[in-house]
Amino acid sequence: MLQPITAKELEYIADSLSNEDLLMKQNALLAASASNQSLRQIGQQMLHTHQQHYQTLMQSFQQHQSIAPTQPQQ
Amino acid sequence: MYQQQQQQQQALPDEDLAYTVLSDLKRVVREYATAATESTCPTVRQMFTNLLNSTLKMQGDLFQAMQAQNMYSTASPALRQELDKQIKEYSQTQQKTSQWLQQRLSGSQQGFGSFAPYQQQSQQHQANQHQPYYS
Repeated sequence: MLQPITAKELEYIADSLSNEDLLMKQNALLAASASNQSLRQIGQQMLHTHQQHYQTLMQSFQQHQSIAPTQPQQ
Repeated sequence: MYQQQQQQQQALPDEDLAYTVLSDLKRVVREYATAATESTCPTVRQMFTNLLNSTLKMQGDLFQAMQAQNMYSTASPALRQELDKQIKEYSQTQQKTSQWLQQRLSGSQQGFGSFAPYQQQSQQHQANQHQPYYS
């Protein structure tokens, strides 16, 4: 089931990590500084979810680490 | 309109802050969809699909929260005559395509039950009259 990750997939995962990182920070701002209670709450929840997303993406890197070739193929 | 003082201390007004997050969520939804379609490894594809669904849900939740706070003005409703026009046009398209499919696939045993004419549904829709559109 698990195949070596392609260069393209690697790039998408890395870009996604940047996106999740940015969204975590934005939601931290929303959770901390919105004057509206329901926005603060939703910011808090989303912050949590983005942290989970970040973990998921990092795990996929780690899962593919051991099966990644160390030399270029062909 | 309320808590003016706190507003001034904020980095951004509530609307702008929420809108920034919302537009980034919309962008990330598109990126996850692209990533999923470009994936080779099934495990990676599944991961992107899950992240897509999760992000889509957050975007929807945030949109609803913003709408509830009157922070988002949705597009004005489409006019009835515009809707009627599109229904007419695409019923014709459907009919033509249905004939085309029948010609191409006349040898096969497959029916076209799932591609039945639209008429009945549209009449039902007419029956439960809508409120007049607000301006």
